[in-house]
Amino acid sequence: MTNGEKDYSAEIIERGRLSKKTFEIKLHRPEAFNFKPGQRIILKYKNFERDYSLASSPDESYLTLCIRYVEGGLLSQAIGDAEIGTRLSFYGPHGYFTFKPSQRPTVLVASGTGIAPFRSMVRSGISPDFLLHGVETTDDLYYSEEFQSAAESYIPCLSQPKNSQTYFRGRVTDYLQMHLPPDSCDFYLCGRSEMIRDVTLLVDELFEGSYIYTETFY
Amino acid sequence: MKIYTGTGDRGKTSLFSGERVSKASKRIEAYGDLDELNSIIGALIAHLPSDQSDLTVGLQQIQADIFVISAWLATTANSPAVDALEPIEEKQIVFLENVIDRLEDLLPDLKNFILPGGHISAAWAHLARSVCRRTERHTVLVLEESDDDETAEQLKKALIYLNRLSDYLFVLARECNRLHGLSDIPWKRS
Repeated sequence: MTNGEKDYSAEIIERGRLSKKTFEIKLHRPEAFNFKPGQRIILKYKNFERDYSLASSPDESYLTLCIRYVEGGLLSQAIGDAEIGTRLSFYGPHGYFTFKPSQRPTVLVASGTGIAPFRSMVRSGISPDFLLHGVETTDDLYYSEEFQSAAESYIPCLSQPKNSQTYFRGRVTDYLQMHLPPDSCDFYLCGRSEMIRDVTLLVDELFEGSYIYTETFY
Repeated sequence: MKIYTGTGDRGKTSLFSGERVSKASKRIEAYGDLDELNSIIGALIAHLPSDQSDLTVGLQQIQADIFVISAWLATTANSPAVDALEPIEEKQIVFLENVIDRLEDLLPDLKNFILPGGHISAAWAHLARSVCRRTERHTVLVLEESDDDETAEQLKKALIYLNRLSDYLFVLARECNRLHGLSDIPWKRS
């Protein structure tokens, strides 16, 4: 128990590489554990604790976590090295970064692994008008095939595009400034604090009357 | 995670219901008052005698209630964000009324106005009371401009709660003086 909350225990059933810097794990979902798309859990392993947004839908029998290898990050390293079948404990769900239906267009904006809660939303049937994923290179465009078919407008934004001609070259703020009609929208922002700050200030400037929901990862 | 995001550097902030509003707006003013009240209650707790654990536990419950009221003040009418909020319960108001009644039984009847002050803990309780009254006034301003929906219903309950909390803090100030063997200081015309 942590802060009076129930601890759950779950086995790692699968682990896969998403990119050079990122991997996902699937945990067996305990029957009693329920959550809403967009919520997170606090994972505990070997005296470490860290928040992870769930990337799977609440209807699935497993929980997917999208984990970035952090340089010197003991937990990401430990989970990356843990054997399949290892039991991890966690508690939650936490957070209010859930989908709020409205008449305004929905614009989801992620940087890096900030895509995780949006994957949960999309897999749960939520269909955003725009889904922007800001990454450095095409190597980081995990889940892109899934999103291409699910989101009306899935837009990878590459800040270091190298040779890619396929995707938008620039930051998510560049795309919003250049291509999004200046209207009131519902913005959901998840990922790096710098991205969240830059998009928020842009929305204040260009998209008056918009709503903003945020989840800051790091 | 960093504590600073910079999203409020130009004077706006986000409500729980998602809107971007001026930091000088009435809602922000009202829940800013609650934040101040909560901090003052923290200072008050820090000055309570160590054997008064009942008072401490009660005040910490009030601090938790203040978070709930703040969330309602940060949510506009007809927002789907309401689903995530805890309702303000009648029992929270009844709790305050019961404590007021219990403390009043311990205290001498009041025949004059009293000067805020005495023991340091009583002084903090009076400060909390006056900030609570300001919070109440600012909550009225928010309510006067609210649509009549669930958030308005909750703000009406919040007003009752804040009205009762101010009374409780007044009685608590007197109790703090009593616990330290001090009498309230009566107001005298100069």
